Amino acid sequence: MPYVLLAPGLAFLGVFFLVPLGFLAYQSLESGNIDFGYAFTWSWGNYGSAFTDYRPEFVRSIEYAGIATILALVLSYPVAYWIAFRGGRWKNLLLLMIVAPFFVTYLIRTLAWETILSDNGTVVRILQHLHLVSPGGHILATGTAVIAGITYNFLPFMALPLYVSLEQVDQRLVEAAQDLYASSWKAFWRVTVPLSLPGVVAGTLLTFIPAAGDFINAQLLGAPQNHMIGNVIQSKFLELTDYPAAAAMSFILMGAIIVAVAAYARAVGTEQLSGTAV
Amino acid sequence: MTQSQFTRQELLRRGLAGSALLTVPGLLAACGGGSKSSAGTTTAAGTQKMAKTLHFSNWTLYIDVNNKTKSHPSLQGFQKKYGTHVDYIEDINDNASYFGKIQGALSRGQSIGRDIVVLTDNDRYLSLMIKKGWAEKLDRSAIPNIKNLVEVQRHPTFDPNREYSLPWQSGMTGIAYNDTLTGPVLSVTDLLENPKLKGKITVLNSMGDALTIVMLANGDDPTKVTDKSFNAAFNRIKKAVDSKQIRQFTGNDYAPSLAKGDLAAAMSWSGDIAQIGNPHIHWNVPKDGGALWTDNMLIPKGGNVYTASVYMNYVYDPAVMGLMEAGDPKKNITGIYYIPPVIGAKAAALKLDPSVANNQLIFPSAETLSKVHLFDSAALNNQKYLQQWQNLISG
Amino acid sequence: MTTLAVPARLRAGGAANVWAFVRRHVLAFYAALFFLYLLLPIGVVIVFSFNQPVGKFNYTWHKFTFDNWRYWNGVPGIQSAITLSLEIAALASVIATVLGTLIALALVRYGFRGRGVTNLLIFLPLSTPEIVMGASLLTLFLNLNFVFGFWTILIAHVMFCISFAVVSVKARLIGFDRHLEEAAMDLGANEWVTFQKVTLPLIAPAILAALLLCFAVSVDDFVVTYFNSGSEVTFPLFVWGAARIGAPPQVNVIGSAIFIIALTAMLLNVAVQTRRAKGAVTE
Repeated sequence: MPYVLLAPGLAFLGVFFLVPLGFLAYQSLESGNIDFGYAFTWSWGNYGSAFTDYRPEFVRSIEYAGIATILALVLSYPVAYWIAFRGGRWKNLLLLMIVAPFFVTYLIRTLAWETILSDNGTVVRILQHLHLVSPGGHILATGTAVIAGITYNFLPFMALPLYVSLEQVDQRLVEAAQDLYASSWKAFWRVTVPLSLPGVVAGTLLTFIPAAGDFINAQLLGAPQNHMIGNVIQSKFLELTDYPAAAAMSFILMGAIIVAVAAYARAVGTEQLSGTAV
Repeated sequence: MTQSQFTRQELLRRGLAGSALLTVPGLLAACGGGSKSSAGTTTAAGTQKMAKTLHFSNWTLYIDVNNKTKSHPSLQGFQKKYGTHVDYIEDINDNASYFGKIQGALSRGQSIGRDIVVLTDNDRYLSLMIKKGWAEKLDRSAIPNIKNLVEVQRHPTFDPNREYSLPWQSGMTGIAYNDTLTGPVLSVTDLLENPKLKGKITVLNSMGDALTIVMLANGDDPTKVTDKSFNAAFNRIKKAVDSKQIRQFTGNDYAPSLAKGDLAAAMSWSGDIAQIGNPHIHWNVPKDGGALWTDNMLIPKGGNVYTASVYMNYVYDPAVMGLMEAGDPKKNITGIYYIPPVIGAKAAALKLDPSVANNQLIFPSAETLSKVHLFDSAALNNQKYLQQWQNLISG
Repeated sequence: MTTLAVPARLRAGGAANVWAFVRRHVLAFYAALFFLYLLLPIGVVIVFSFNQPVGKFNYTWHKFTFDNWRYWNGVPGIQSAITLSLEIAALASVIATVLGTLIALALVRYGFRGRGVTNLLIFLPLSTPEIVMGASLLTLFLNLNFVFGFWTILIAHVMFCISFAVVSVKARLIGFDRHLEEAAMDLGANEWVTFQKVTLPLIAPAILAALLLCFAVSVDDFVVTYFNSGSEVTFPLFVWGAARIGAPPQVNVIGSAIFIIALTAMLLNVAVQTRRAKGAVTE
């Protein structure tokens, strides 16, 4: 019976998610170019050259995504805590307010940041006053703008899992700790935080992974020096039509992700995987 | 894929308004059967019919437009004369990504749902399309107005007998600057090396455009590229990237940033600046020379050859080209403001808007034309150069 | 003596009171700042939708006007783009929710071999970078000679929406009280009737949530659609193209409209759920 229920959905995913990945794998071992065609030649060299040629971009993607994830964690944790512990009747409404901005199209949001961070805009002028930006300097077309964009765009992916696990923390445990003479700070660090760890891990995964593969923030808000691996993959696919290289790079990215996800699944069990996003 | 599958797919598609027209030719082409062109044509001359719709992909801001109604007078005129509606889609932003999008289907013999596309000659994709047989031959019998094509465009290297393509517009590449943010920026040296402009300038992501201008500034000949001259120009640009002088590499998306004031100067195309309509933004051919390029109309495989050819003929009527070029200020119609390839367009434009007819950017004098140059087409196909360039612009 | 002691006590108490006040509300204050930060770009989008820009570029405030809202489809191509996006989102969310609900039911109700693999398969699309999904689908479609257009976009959207649907419904199913179903069956209903009359109504909110989530994700998708749309233009693709030459204010109008409609729908959902919870309590 369960197989009957599973069949249509899993078949769809199998055909339109797994099979394409298979094709991509095949393509990553091809060689050739658009002028003379491509041929399957077990070209493992594509992987090697992807690493060596674009190591700066790989490193930069991890760096930007990592900083953005940490920022998102630091920014969202207090709010998730506040909603979970002090939200009361307004919990649902407040959660809604976190999610609501993301109903506006991703591109429009990012373009709005292009307006807000514009060289002659209020924000940059204030930052120049505070000497955080050099006079005549700019935020757009720098790594800062890209990281800011990524952090903003992936905030709910961090905030929601954090909220879910914080909400499940049994308040009585915290009270018990305080009864045992722990200060509220200590109770927080020793009881609440460890109990919210599954949420932290889930949020981190859900934020870091898409952030690492993003290219829109880098394209709209950054300069060529800020381009991430996603930009390279995009240009290899659509502009250079160098499919084997692009496929190889996609797989390297995917490989890193699967390793991280497998480790997470090992630690918390696979049930959490299909129940983490909400 | 079987025939029945296509019939079912076809029925489903027809149930969804708007998609049917675009996919029926594709179905036939993918099936491998049926004629290569969409319904409405036969190969016998004299019995040809115009298709109901002409699908025309073009660059943005590249046709006359009525600012109030947002319609295109020249296209409406075409519909009035021939009864064919033009589905005009402005989805080409740069040659590389547009080609990348369509090459998948074309390489598998599928139609892309377009009858006319427009590609530039100082990029490799135009000659690549023709070389790989992805362009249909024009129906010359339907284009008597081809006699109005200007002499200098009659035998380009990528299509010596004009069998596959016809020019749409030509343009020049130069430098635009915002006079509220900087003094005049008239040379490559200024653009790439003036420390006052650091982080406030952009360079075009098109290798043909950028390298032509920088090579000329280096004193090299862009029509005969050697490794030495390539490296000299490439390294000069790379230095400006590394020093953060260059803010970004752009297609025609420099325009918003220029208007916003995020850029003080930009390597840009002649017509765009006229269209921005900001009196503080000025465009000039660089001191050492600029680039000349021509956008060409092509019929991609699977397009309707006859209807497309008739449209091209319509456009090559000097009166029509004059209107497209100049617009009509009295009726709030903005023209294209690039360089038309049609003899007699200037006279027609003069009647509609004299200021346009005497505008050096639209009808350049021989002296202006002598300052702009083409790019070596062999270099455009050099894999080594291309790879290096792509690495530079994608970081 | 007393008159001196009171002020001293109050003074010490006053400082402690202020500190206690701050401590109690610092989180709330921080949360307020946080929400301000979240809503800032949205505010900009909405405000500029009422702007009448000088020339083509909507970056500096010029004049207030309702024209953009009145003539929201005045920009060629915008209406067909948003129509296409809405069509695809509607279809994709229905299909994905149906498939996803079935999977969720199987996962929660039954033990079976391959649970781990299924869970992994559901999670992977959520964590795969969009560019990899888009590019690999492109490869598949090219190899199968599909024609790019409505159907390829639809297939792509259903694919990445299924996981969202599963997660949504599963969360609600886990908290579901099986006793109600057992009671129905004890009263003579067979499995199908039980499902129809007991299960379905009770998980309806979750299915609705799944539909809304899938709809939102689909309308917003850019990267996967970019690779697989061929010549069709959805709303995000339209924004991408328009932004290069200066997005017209109508783009802001539609963005704001989507936001307002979605917000209203979610608010209603919350209100209905709160009302339900209250109703359940007072019974």
